[in-house]
Formats: sequence, structure tokens, C-alpha cells
Amino acid sequence: MSNYTTIVSDVLVVGAGLAGERAAIEAASRGLDVIILSLVPPRRSHSTAAQGGCQASLGNCAMGSGDNTDVHFADTVKGSDWGCDQEVARLFVETAPKAVRQMSMWGVPWNRVVGGKKTLPDGREVEDPKEKEGLITARDFGGTAKWRTCYTADGAGHTLQYAVDSVVIKLGITVHDRTEAISLIHDGETCLGVVARCLKTGELRIYLAKSTVIATGGYGRLYGASTNAIINEGNGMSIALNTGLVPLGNMEAVQFHPTGMVPVWILITEGARGDGGYLLDKNHHRFMPDYEPKKKELASRDVVSRRMIQHIRKGHGVDSPYGPHLWLDIRHLGAKHINTNLREIANICKNFNGIDPVNALIPVRPTQHYSMGGVRTNIDGQVYGLKGLFAVGEAACWDLHGFNRLGGNSLAETIVSGWIVGKKMAEYTLGAAELNYQYNNVQGFAKEQQERINNLIAGKQGKENVYALRKEMEQTLMDYVGIFRNGPDLQKAVDNLKEIYHRSLKIGLQSSGKGANPELSTCLRMPGMLRLALCISYGALTRTESRGSHAREDFPKRDDANWLKRTLAYWKEGSDLPDLQYEPVKITELPPGDRGYGESSASSAEGKKQN
Amino acid sequence: MSTRKFSIFRYNPITPEVKPFMQEYTIEEPPGMTIFVALNKIREELDPTLMFDFVCRAAICGSCAMIINGKPRLACKTLTSDLKGTVTLMPLPVFKLIGDLSVDTGTWFRHLSVKTKSWIHSSKEFDPNAPEDRMDNETALEIYEAERCIECGCCIAGCVTANIREDFLGAAGINRVARFMVDPRDERSKEEYFDVIGSDEGAFGCMGLMACDDNCPMQLPLQLQLSFVRRKMVSFGLSIK
Amino acid sequence: MLVQKILTRNPKAELYYDLVELFTGITLVGFLWTHMLFVSTILLGSDLFNTLSKSLDDYYLSYVGIPFIVLVFIMHILSAGRRLPTRYQEQKIIWRHAKMLQGTDTWVWVFQAITGAAIFALASIHMFVVLTGWPITATTSAGRVEAFWWFYLVLLLLGEYHAGFGIYRQFVKWGWFPRKPLGYVSKLITVIILTLGVAALWVFLQLGGA
Repeated sequence: MSNYTTIVSDVLVVGAGLAGERAAIEAASRGLDVIILSLVPPRRSHSTAAQGGCQASLGNCAMGSGDNTDVHFADTVKGSDWGCDQEVARLFVETAPKAVRQMSMWGVPWNRVVGGKKTLPDGREVEDPKEKEGLITARDFGGTAKWRTCYTADGAGHTLQYAVDSVVIKLGITVHDRTEAISLIHDGETCLGVVARCLKTGELRIYLAKSTVIATGGYGRLYGASTNAIINEGNGMSIALNTGLVPLGNMEAVQFHPTGMVPVWILITEGARGDGGYLLDKNHHRFMPDYEPKKKELASRDVVSRRMIQHIRKGHGVDSPYGPHLWLDIRHLGAKHINTNLREIANICKNFNGIDPVNALIPVRPTQHYSMGGVRTNIDGQVYGLKGLFAVGEAACWDLHGFNRLGGNSLAETIVSGWIVGKKMAEYTLGAAELNYQYNNVQGFAKEQQERINNLIAGKQGKENVYALRKEMEQTLMDYVGIFRNGPDLQKAVDNLKEIYHRSLKIGLQSSGKGANPELSTCLRMPGMLRLALCISYGALTRTESRGSHAREDFPKRDDANWLKRTLAYWKEGSDLPDLQYEPVKITELPPGDRGYGESSASSAEGKKQN
Repeated sequence: MSTRKFSIFRYNPITPEVKPFMQEYTIEEPPGMTIFVALNKIREELDPTLMFDFVCRAAICGSCAMIINGKPRLACKTLTSDLKGTVTLMPLPVFKLIGDLSVDTGTWFRHLSVKTKSWIHSSKEFDPNAPEDRMDNETALEIYEAERCIECGCCIAGCVTANIREDFLGAAGINRVARFMVDPRDERSKEEYFDVIGSDEGAFGCMGLMACDDNCPMQLPLQLQLSFVRRKMVSFGLSIK
Repeated sequence: MLVQKILTRNPKAELYYDLVELFTGITLVGFLWTHMLFVSTILLGSDLFNTLSKSLDDYYLSYVGIPFIVLVFIMHILSAGRRLPTRYQEQKIIWRHAKMLQGTDTWVWVFQAITGAAIFALASIHMFVVLTGWPITATTSAGRVEAFWWFYLVLLLLGEYHAGFGIYRQFVKWGWFPRKPLGYVSKLITVIILTLGVAALWVFLQLGGA
């Protein structure tokens, strides 16, 4: 007799953010029975927090004129510091404009071109052509040669998520919200579904499906200061890693966003700089042009973040109880622009800092923001190591972003890869054999989780406090695996994390653990989070070069001869360190070269004739 | 450092024998403390069983609405320094209680979307190779103005009608319909719109108490949206057979 | 859908109810304010008051007007009254809710519901008494006021409160004016009418019955 409710469908999507829902729609519209599991109601997903926009080379606005997929491709590859998969990047840039137009049909109120002359904040005059009026417009973002970021005021993620979710509702796709997948079920070859815990009642359930899609987003909350929502704990990545069969790709590639607001670390969108905002130091000096004369504040995120830390280290930071920071200045954009196109920023500044950016400076410092790494998949989104398992969005390492993602490419990735991977996943499911599983095997996975829960409640393995461990993990990553990295620090991180990991296996609950107990939820996630932290730190320690966001002070140069390859981290049962393997990075069009910005452009002070 | 007292509603449906009660906690209050910070502190240091919801903690996802000193508000953006005396926290009414401060807004809002058929009704097929249909930028902004709703439930919790009539869609529902009515891509007829919201469950159920307008954390112009829809429904209702 | 609901479905019923509530409400407010202006002609002397009353009679305005108002009154009770909670638990929810929210508009509405119910009773008595003592003259009115001044004072306060905020709420609901200025204007009118009403009562009281 089974104690567990078992729910069977054709497709199981774990995560109801943009990528997950978009993939679910592809499957459902081909007649497949789809269930989506989500930690929170879909419209609360972290995708909604993306304020800035979505890159697609429509080239409608004046400053985007002449844009095309080739330019977008080159920007993406350079941005990734040649770490991305170029076949994926090509597929992505070709699909992005179509995906953006499709979203327009689904209801996203993209801002549109308004014809006529206008003056940009830096004094440049531009004229949007009348014949383009009413087409989707774009704004400027970092690391792009053209204005390519489509937006809806400052709620691009919000409107995209609402539009995609509206189609999910229209198609009648089943969503089980407040449900957390805590283990994958597989037979060593094929993924069969998940064991999930209901966060309303605490009940364990078994979900079986021909295809399972991991779309759980990033792991930002491993870091103490992250722009991410508090649900972004890398759950999907860790249940994949726990199988021992599935590798995580490039986990050392962690993006820091230049403008997290001090001290609450809420994101101030890149749109603020795209629309003409400046970065100032303690003397109110605009310092970015000194380092990056060509792209200034709008070099890629890894570069701007490093330049900011560099500048702070030179003593130009503003001192505060939360450590030194810099200023973001958007005052010159004017009240009207700030209160319409950047309204969310104005609200965030008022609510969380008591300042009005119309006449005050915003305190900012680079803050953990995005994980380029994730569950490694092929170009179809199929996960390495298990059949019937797919991954999409930030949770995946599809590998569009390599070692640094461009702003606006993640939102675009969700709708593009959700579409493409969703289609491939649906085709796989339609062609797959009937669901074939061993009853005992499936039950075993659920029982294993039940036993973990029982042990935690009984305090059988020990009495470690989960919140204390969590703080130590967060601090370790903040201190030793940040923007600038070096061998000794990374070694320290690995040592600390290993020790915390061992203690995390001895966590005991303080409370009863009954029902939807929040402490139990955290305890169940903790060892998995530490494994991810170890993949990040150990991957970073081993990679003896600097590439994109992975900046080693002891190895400051990119090393294409030895490191033009992707890290694959496996976790063998009983181990306390990942097993690192590597695969070559596919270069099909653009051989490694100079990015045109950043430290590798040694002569950047003179300004390059590059984009 | 000064301290702050919290009085928090406690009830766990899995132990119905324990009647609902208010529990008091006192914690230190650093400058700039929000209810988000305070509740996490209470859970981590004083009471790991305390249930509440946060997701974005930046006032954009709508997860953390609760009744704070009598008003429905987003906990993440409420500074304790703006509140006087003991901070009293209650879960939102109307929504199903999951436990303590946590309520099930997701199911309620999904039902709302189903009921108001909240998606673009279009007969057009998507052509991936065609340019997008044009739209006036002003229209796009007008749609976004209504679409800014984050489904936090403050308007519903504050509404007397919603508190006593289970089928009332509230300001969030009526505003949602307004969002589609101003959207030229939506091809629904007068009859279809009237059918969705031309009743006491929708536009005519509002008694005009405007607690929604007073308490919307996104400052949506709800009075204007509600009256716009009411007038539209009258003109639709009177002109259809 | 449930069978009984399919069989009785009338999609426009609630639209009509809402419109009836609006129009009867506005009519009653208009009537009440005019009524009070007429009554307060007593401030300018009994003769004017009597002449006005008689001319309304002569032109049959009273005979058409009063039944009409009675009809509107009943329709208003039916249409607006449909919103009132009848179950005890609902009433308790509303009371708790108003206390918790401390929203002015919510409290105002709670009292409006209560005053509405009270007016239903008091205004019926008032009409019965006036109609049985027809015609209206300064002397008969003064007599009634002298005997039951507290009754008229209460009815005046309840009626003006209900009318003033009722008209405010209708305008808010239909969105013809923004809320804030609307609140001020409706309060101002209410205060003016109340002042006139109280003054008229005072004059009647001084006048005394025959």
C-alpha cells in the first residue's frame, strides 16, 4: 500500500516562471497533459521582477536602426567572453524577434515607437521615423551595439509573466502552486518524475511523467546579498545534481549586477543606466568614462561591476555602515521620465530607502544577480545524463550566456528557450514509450524523503541549527567567492563550505515540523544548497584564468589555450566535493578575440573602433 | 537599540483544537527595519513555526500582503518606524488561511482569471515572419497602467462586499476587465464583456466604499477603473438585446 | 451551473437594480433637499409657508408628488436594501471589519445602512402623520413639532446624513467627479440643509401649536 498520492501526466514542469510556463504551453498546445509545480503562485515568480526588458533585434527605433541578428549574436558572444555555445546563441538571436512579437499577440503592452525628434540625456539628438510609429521600440542596455531591449515601462518581466500565465490559464493547464519538488525519481537512465512536498499541508506526493522539465530559476539566495527573490535557492539544480548522473555546467560563472541598492540589495534596473543614468563616486565624479571611454556605464555587467569595486578599492567609495558604496545618479532624466518609464525604481527608492531619485542619489554596490551556470543541457534542452529530463531558463546551462550574460538576454532567453525547448520536449514526449516504472523504485524515492523528514524531526542525526548554518554559508560565499577571486580565498571557501556541508547533514529541527512547517522546508533544502555552493567555489578554484564574471586576481587573463571549455560538475554519492569534468566550447562563427571593453582591451583608454 | 513588540495572529489548521490567538514577540529594532526583516528575525531567533509569505521582498510580486495595524499592506515595504506602538499583524481576510499570516491568494486569483477569462481573445493566427501589429504608445501605456496590479489582495481584503459575498470579484477583478477593454487586441463583444462582469459579482456589486482605492499598494487608480467599467457595463447592458 | 440558476437567469436584472438604486437615490436626495428648502420658508414667515403649501395643493403637485415619492421610496428600499447583510454572521463580519480597517468610507457606509433602516421606519411614520393631518399649514406643523420635536430632529439628522453621503457614494461609484472635492461639496450642502432644518424646527417650536 502506498501512503503517497500519485499523480500521473505526460509532462511535468517544475517551476512556473516564464521559461517553465512557456515550455508548458508548447506541450499543452500539442495535446499533452501537463502539470506545473511551483513554489508560489505563477504570477509571484521571480521572472516578474525583471524590470528592464528583453533583447530582440527588431531595429525599429532610431538608435536601433541597422540592428540585426548578426549584431545581436556578436554582442552576446562577446558578452559571454566566448564562453557560450555559439550554435545556441545563433538559434537564440534568430528566434528572439519572433518570440517578442508573439508576446505582443499574447498581450504584452510593449512600449511603441513614437515618431519625431528627441534629445537624449547626453545631449544627442535623434529622430524616430514616422513610418516606424507604433512598432515595438527598444531602450539601451549594457554591452549592446544597438538599442535592442524591448520593454514595457519598467515592468517587462511582470507583463510578460502575466501574458504567458494568461495563456496557461486559457489552455487550462493544471498548476499545483506551493508545491516543492524535493527529489527527482529515475531508474538510472530515464527520469520518471519527482517527489514533491505540499507547502500548504506538508504532505509528500509522487508525480510521474514521461518528461520532466526543470525551470526553477537561479540560486541567488546562496549569497547573503542578492537581488534575487527569497525563493531563488537553486532547488531544481540541486535535485538534478543529487541524482549523481546529471552535471551542472559552469557553476563558477556568477553574475553580479552593478546596481543593487544599499542596504536592502534590491535591484535597480540596468534601464536606469540605459536611459542615461550615471555612476558617481564620493566626490560626485562620473568615473566610468575614465575606465571605459567607449561604453562608459554601459559596458557589460561583469566589467562595470569590476570597475566599481576597483574604484572603491582605490578609496573613492562612499563610506556607510553597510560598507563602501557608489552613487547612481538619474536626477538629470527628469521627474516625468523617472515617474513613468522608471516608476518602479522611484517606488523602490522611496519605500526602501526613503529617497526620491528625482532629486537624490541612489546608493548602489554590485550585488549577486544571476547564475549563468545551471543544469547542463544540449541545444534541445535535454539534460545530460538522464532521458526524459529537460531544463530551461536560468536553472539551465543551455549555454547562451557563457561567463557573462547581457542585460535583457535572460528575459529573452526565457521566452525563446521556453518555446524551443518546449517544442523539442513535446516532440520527445509524443514519441516516447508509455511510462514504464518499477513500483518499488518509485516508492523508494518517496520513502527516502520521508525518512529524511522523520530524522530531521526526531533530531536523529544531530542538533545543528539550520539558520546558523545558512548564515555561515552566505557569508562564506560573500567573503571569498565574490567579484574578484583568488586561490587562497577560494580554498578557504571550499574548506569552510565542506565543513558546513558535513554539519548540514546533522541538522535537527527546533520545532515540531508538523504540516507546512517553514523550518522543515529550509532544512530539507540546506544540504542541496551547500552542494551548489561547493560546485561554485570549487569550480572557481579550479578554473585558473579570468573569463567574464569569473575574475581571478592571480590569473587576470583569459586563457583560451587551456580554458576554452565548460565545467561540468557531478556529485557522487557520499562525496563532499563535486567531481569536475570539462567539455570543449563550440566555436562556430566568431573565434575568441577582444570584447571591445573591459580589462582585456588593454588599450581601452584610447577607445577602440569596436562596438 | 530600541525594541519593538509584535502581536501576531496564530492559527494552524492542522491543529484545530488550538483556537486562534494573538502571540506577542519582542525584538530589537534596528533603523530601517521592515516587517520582512522583523518576521524573519522572529522566525529564526524566537519561533521557527511562524508561517508567513515573502517572495520578492521588493514590493513587486504581491505575496506578502497582510493586515498591519488594521490596514491591508505589503509587509515587505512597511517600515516599523512608520507604525506606532505594538505592531499587530493579522492574515488577510477573504482568502483561505494556510496558517498564521499565510493565506492562499494564488487559488483565489487563478479563479478570478478563469472567471473573467483574462486572456487576449483574438481570432488572429500568429505569423512568426510578419511584423507586429502596430499600437499607439499611449494605448500601450494605458494597458500597462491597469496591468500593474500585482494581485496582492489588499483591495479584496479591505472590501466589505468581498468579505461577505464569496462570488464578488472585487477591484482586482474589475480592474482586470478594464485592462482588456482598453486593449485593441482583444476582440470580445459587448455581450461577452457584459456576461463576464455585468452583474453583482462584478461591476454592480461594488458599493463604493473605496477601501480598495485607499489601500492599493501600487496606487492603481481603482476608483476611476471601477467607475469606468460600471459606466461601460451600463452602456453595453442597455444596448444589447 | 446549477439548474435553478439556469432557469432563472436574467443577465440584466442586476444592471436594472443598480440603475434603480441610482435614480431613486438621486430623486430622493433632490426631494429631500427641496422639501427642506420648502419647510425652511417658515424662516421667512408663516404666510409664505402657508401660501407655498396651498399653491402646491392647488396645482395638484402634492397629489401627484407624494404618491410618486412614496413609490420611489419603496423602490429605493428594495434596490439599495439588497446590499444589506441579513445574516447575523455577515453583520458581525462587517462590524469587525469596519473597526479593524478604520476606513472613514467604510464606517460612513455602516452608518448609512443603519440610518437607512431607521429612516424606513421614521419617514413612514412622518408621512402617515402628515397625510392624516392634511393640509399642511404653519400651525399644524408647529403643533407636530412642539409635541414631537425630538422625533423631527432625529429624522432630520438621519435623513440628511443618509442623503449627503448617499449622493457622494453614487457619484464616487459612477466616477463623475474625483472623490476628495466631492466629499467636501456633499458635506457642505448637508451642513447648509441641516442648519436650515434645525432653524426651521426652532421657529416652529417658537410658533407653538394652535
